[in-house]
Amino acid sequence: MALSSKRIPAFVFAVLLLAWPAERPLAAADAAPSFETVVRPFLNKYCVGCHGQKHQKGDRRFDRLTGEIVDDNSLVDLQDILDQLNLSEMPPEEATQPTDAERRVVIQRLTTTIQDYHKTREASHQAAVLRRLNSREYRNTVRDLLHLNMTMFDPAATFPRDQTTEHLDTIGDTLVTSGALLQQYLNVAEEVVQKAVFPLEKPDVQKWTFRDGFRQQPEIDQVHRTFNGFRHMTLYDVVGADKPEGAYGPIHAFADGVPHDGYYEIKLKAEALNRRHDYPIEFLGTDPDEPFRLGIVAGNKDAGTLHLTQPVEPLLAEVELADEQKWYTVRVWLDAGFTPRFTFRNGLMDVRSLWGKLAKEYGDRFPKRKTKGIVDNRINGITHGNLPQIRIHEIEIEGPFYDEWPTAGQRSIFGDDFEELARADTLSKAQWRDRLTEFASAAYRRPVSTEEVDRVWKIVESRRDTGRSPLSAFCDGLTAILCSPAFLYLESADQKEGLSSHGLASRLSYFLWSSMPDQELRELAARGELRQSKVLAAQVDRMLNDDRADAFIEGFLDSWLTLRDLGATPPDRNAFRSFYHYDLDSAMRQETRLFVRELIQQNLSIDNFLDSDFTFLNKRLAEHYGIVSSSTGNEFQKVLLTDRRRGGLLGQASILTVTANGIDTSPVVRGVWLLENILGTPPSPPPPDVEPIDPDVRGATTIRDQLEKHRRIASCNDCHRKIDPPGFALENFDPIGGWRTSYGRGKPIDSSGQLSTGQEFKDVADFKLLLLARKDQFARALTTKLLAYSSGRHVGLSDRPHVDEIINNLNQQRSGFRDLIKLVVTSDPFLSP
Amino acid sequence: MIIHSADRRSFLKAAGVCLALPTLESARQAARADRPEASPRRMVCVGNEFGMHPGNFWPKQTGSDYELTPLLEPLAPHKNNFTLFSHLDHGLKGGHFAIHGFLTGVKAAEARGLPGGGMSVDQRAAEFVGSRTRFPSLTIGSEYGLHGGCQMSWTRTGTRVPPIPGPRELFRQLFVEDSAAGKKQAEERIHLQASILDAVLGDANSLKRTLSRNDAQKLDEYFSSVRDVETKLTLDQQWLRIPKPKAPIDEPTNKGLTLDLPALYELIALALQTDSTRVATLEIAEGFVSSALGIKQGYHGLSHHGKVKESIELLVQIERYQVEQFAGFLDRLRSIREPNSDGTLLDSTMVLFGSGMGDANSHTNNDLPIILAGGGFRHGEHKEYPKASNRRVPLCNLFVSMLQRFGVETDQFSQGTTTLTGLELV
Repeated sequence: MALSSKRIPAFVFAVLLLAWPAERPLAAADAAPSFETVVRPFLNKYCVGCHGQKHQKGDRRFDRLTGEIVDDNSLVDLQDILDQLNLSEMPPEEATQPTDAERRVVIQRLTTTIQDYHKTREASHQAAVLRRLNSREYRNTVRDLLHLNMTMFDPAATFPRDQTTEHLDTIGDTLVTSGALLQQYLNVAEEVVQKAVFPLEKPDVQKWTFRDGFRQQPEIDQVHRTFNGFRHMTLYDVVGADKPEGAYGPIHAFADGVPHDGYYEIKLKAEALNRRHDYPIEFLGTDPDEPFRLGIVAGNKDAGTLHLTQPVEPLLAEVELADEQKWYTVRVWLDAGFTPRFTFRNGLMDVRSLWGKLAKEYGDRFPKRKTKGIVDNRINGITHGNLPQIRIHEIEIEGPFYDEWPTAGQRSIFGDDFEELARADTLSKAQWRDRLTEFASAAYRRPVSTEEVDRVWKIVESRRDTGRSPLSAFCDGLTAILCSPAFLYLESADQKEGLSSHGLASRLSYFLWSSMPDQELRELAARGELRQSKVLAAQVDRMLNDDRADAFIEGFLDSWLTLRDLGATPPDRNAFRSFYHYDLDSAMRQETRLFVRELIQQNLSIDNFLDSDFTFLNKRLAEHYGIVSSSTGNEFQKVLLTDRRRGGLLGQASILTVTANGIDTSPVVRGVWLLENILGTPPSPPPPDVEPIDPDVRGATTIRDQLEKHRRIASCNDCHRKIDPPGFALENFDPIGGWRTSYGRGKPIDSSGQLSTGQEFKDVADFKLLLLARKDQFARALTTKLLAYSSGRHVGLSDRPHVDEIINNLNQQRSGFRDLIKLVVTSDPFLSP
Repeated sequence: MIIHSADRRSFLKAAGVCLALPTLESARQAARADRPEASPRRMVCVGNEFGMHPGNFWPKQTGSDYELTPLLEPLAPHKNNFTLFSHLDHGLKGGHFAIHGFLTGVKAAEARGLPGGGMSVDQRAAEFVGSRTRFPSLTIGSEYGLHGGCQMSWTRTGTRVPPIPGPRELFRQLFVEDSAAGKKQAEERIHLQASILDAVLGDANSLKRTLSRNDAQKLDEYFSSVRDVETKLTLDQQWLRIPKPKAPIDEPTNKGLTLDLPALYELIALALQTDSTRVATLEIAEGFVSSALGIKQGYHGLSHHGKVKESIELLVQIERYQVEQFAGFLDRLRSIREPNSDGTLLDSTMVLFGSGMGDANSHTNNDLPIILAGGGFRHGEHKEYPKASNRRVPLCNLFVSMLQRFGVETDQFSQGTTTLTGLELV
């Protein structure tokens, strides 16, 4: 039974066959014992019983192998046998085992055979498939090309969702273009250009003041009207509350938002009330020792109700409040039409249901009311509850302000001509055309040809002929550039010239920044120096040290570890309140990102992914893990781990949450995830007629019992003996990564298991030691993903020698993650078409 | 590959109407858009994320004398207007990750390379309608949901059709006329975009010359996208000149999908009645919340009922609400006369109701709950198809029947290779 190779995409074979039509099949090398003398007897003795004429377990049949690699199927088979022997996965533990000496000699023979085969193949990888920018690359590219502030502007929001292959969102083959998408490109390009170019004249600064009339939302307004006459805004809930009351404080008198994109200064007089309250701490769930944090998020009345969650609501600023009334000033970016809304980052949770709980448990503190309904309970809670709350008494908004005028975007488009344009409303034809040429070159990430400029220029002229102003016609030209395939598709290899220096610069910058190359990369490409290994390595260092590398960390983690799906199955609100109250969702994402950033910054060994003695936690996440942390508020600190349960990816809540469904955990799902993404050996899909496992939580059985039954079926056991054990090791982690020792209902958790090799482990800490023993396999899986992510194509069997070479080189260094990235960038598959 | 020329485009600009373009079959049909046909066929597909609780959905008996189950009871007045099909599915696996195949028969990841490219049955029908209606189709409902949600409508290129989110947006699309200035602007935008397409086609042609065969094939997607947009622009231009129908109701407000279902069904009925579209798809996922029905536990949590009786009861309440709204929709369709015929809108509209999820508790995608109502089929039965794995009938056979009824000349759709045996016309 083998795991990986039947997954190789069919087109890889097709390409290989095309590339080698006339090649004579390669015989095993002459030196060393031949296939017939060592491998054949070995196969007959240990393998053919299950993988022969009679049975073909796992769809593998070895009795007809000749030791010659005649096609890709035989290459797949030999590589498979070799991998399984290297890992001691096969023969299965219950079967007769070969001696170490037998194993060794077969491994040697097969290794040589496969190496020799690869050596004969010069172009051992396929031409990269032309690929378009995916949504996030489009967004970042627009940002960098036009110097737009993207805090609340997402030009790709209306694009059809990108399809992925094995969770990767950079694979050219999968990134399709459709009429619907092109229509969006056309619409959005126009919007983007307008945003970057206008207004030419710097808008006047205005000021708005709000001192009363702070209505918030119908549910609480009726109480506030009598209680405080709307003289201040009051915030109760956190934004994660289910049916929020006082979670978003909007300024309804400012619902239309600001008139222009720009920075605005927001001054507010606020106080933090009842931080130290006399309820039990766990009853309210706020932290009396921590200052209240006021957050300002953006809102847009056209996107939905201002007192509720909206699709676009970036956190613009956060302020720690003193308890007493004080003035605070923050400077935030707001797009035209957006209005600031005020939130309570570490506030209460679900006050709507708290009103009733207060009445029930602290009834003696409140005056008697007519009913026990929510309305009367809320009146009591607000007027007599003395609950933790933020009050805002006055708000002043002033702006727009700009760091520079013309804006960076205007300067990048018009250069020194801007002043003349602003004065005269037009430029000379030569100037217009020069500006167009420069913009096209920046957008296409390479020098442009005269014909290319001609085509766009034609549009500009025809628009002028139909009565448009010169500037408006010029903008139409810019719009056209943003719809050209030269902008939308990454430069592909010229069929004669291969990958150009500019193409390489783009490949590098989309790998590490998910965006276009900057000036320095462009210059190196223009001088033809970029291809030198030293230069490349230096650029990798520079780029990884840049903030834009966050795009790599996020994009790659989303693709490799499926973190993109975190939050797609929201955890049960009743069972996992803390997830919503303390925004653990963002915290767990942040933990993994900071962890990976540390590996890159310090060039720490990739073994840390498997097991590590540190991680990054904020206070609430530390609590979630049961770890004492000195961090306060939302600040993340590097924390040294003293026990082995949490270290490495498998102890991180992000991973444990994304591999559960928000309700319960399944060792199968986590096991498959681990085989796919950590070990790079995805199991075959289940056979067609298999009975699914129907979860039954009424009593008798645990998932472990059910799986045990499942594994007793031979055809299930073939895969589940590999899938289930890693999943069992993680069973101590609940669906949001909290530690548990029982399933409830008195059923304890058993996280021990036995790998298919027979190695046993008693818990997750133990299991991680077994993983570390397979670190080469992990390194190969990680490297394969990095190569695929960075080169935008599937990484197939023919890339195997390059992957192995990277890992050999890496092992000779300190296995640092930064080193690995450099090795990938300087590898053949990355540098070639 | 057709090489586009600038001249052809300037003709479009000059003539406004675009009868001479070789690839614009639907544009030609658009020219007749104001002349209604005798008996148009219509199709509505409704799907949810978590299916229907099997124990409370499937009747024990088959044939026409079956007893209505708790989840079918709301449909009692329509018992002769719908058929229930058991043991139909696509043979897909993947739980939530496979429900997006409900109307396509394949998972999106596996759709590329297939002849239909993973197109959904509603979009196949929409292609057939082309420009004969203002909207070739209307996909409505939840943009997202658990693991992406329903994601029911897919185009030929394997991209998803983003749904119109709520009644307010749907109302505006159907009935609210753009201002004269808005129309002029729209027309100018069409001209601009048309000339941009010319320029970028030039870029694409020169790019293509440098590419390897592989890459050039990939670029074909871009060329065909350009053609699609050209077609669309031509149609948009047509429809700009034909006024939208008068709104028979006031503009609704959005209250969240659960409470919006009645308004959405009403608007779909109006869209069909006014022949604004003949194909509508409703996706019930994100935004459909049990709390709006006064149920504390979450819908998804309840669908993992773990066979706990109380959870199942609540789940059935939620699902029953969906069936009730669907039954109301059938009432509405039956109350509207189909112009130029003796029948009602229900007779000319085939309405599919179901899910890509078979049993949410075990996350299985087999034995999908499938109801087909109206459309001129002979109804009134619970039809059972073979259960044995080697004799199963693909659900796509039903889609072939629906497409044929719609007027599409095909005997294939995705995994379907023939019409569904046993399903007859009236």
